[in-house]
Amino acid sequence: MADPSRTTDPKPPMPRWVKVFGIIAIVVMLFFLVTRIVGGGGQHGPGRHTGGNSGVTEEQAPPSGGPGGHTPPEGAPAYP
Amino acid sequence: MTMTPRVRKFALTVHVTLSIGWMGAIAGYIALDVAAVTSQSTQTLRVAYLAMELIARYVIVPLAFASLFTGLVISLATKWGLFRHYWVLISLLLTVIATVVLLAETQTISYFADVAADPTRSGEDLRALGGTLVHSVGGTVVLLVILVLNVYKPQGMTRYGWRKQQEQRRKQQEQRDVMLQL
Repeated sequence: MADPSRTTDPKPPMPRWVKVFGIIAIVVMLFFLVTRIVGGGGQHGPGRHTGGNSGVTEEQAPPSGGPGGHTPPEGAPAYP
Repeated sequence: MTMTPRVRKFALTVHVTLSIGWMGAIAGYIALDVAAVTSQSTQTLRVAYLAMELIARYVIVPLAFASLFTGLVISLATKWGLFRHYWVLISLLLTVIATVVLLAETQTISYFADVAADPTRSGEDLRALGGTLVHSVGGTVVLLVILVLNVYKPQGMTRYGWRKQQEQRRKQQEQRDVMLQL
């Protein structure tokens, strides 16, 4: 029967680079949060363009060229 | 699940190609993004926004998903695992975050392209749109961080990885003891 204690190593501590990485990540997230709250990034994100306005207006309806914007076949009169 | 060395090398080649392709596509996108932010020419703005959407939708997004998928396959099929080492875990988190932000940003880019494609929109309308430089440059920085982590593979095992390692050693030890008793 194997003795489990023979192969047990002490738990490794969290490496310093992971801690530094975590601190930087928190700072960056706080920075974006603060800029958003303060107003600098109030218009940040896709919602700034799509909110309440899908961007598609009646003006964007298919232009001239017949119903549905299709070009009439060659030889056919454009305006019958 | 483990891969043979040949399959592992092939998978790694595909993953590196897709990941570097993702970065390269963003570099091309940034060039258009800069043009969209700085140009005064209406024609240039129209072309830039339309090209930005095409690159984002048909190159960057597919490469992002492909890179994420191949990364998952490689980590799960090799000794590295997905949650055993901090550098793999952080790379995974950053890739997922970058992909989610990219998907959200694609909506904005599509809106820009819709406006640019509208011939009734004036140059003023297009200039008012601005660009997505914060996201594209920020995304590049995130991908560079992932690249550095993947190349240097800094040491550090998570608690889960440590537990798995202990289990594995215990099993090996038990097998050795059994062999000695025979």
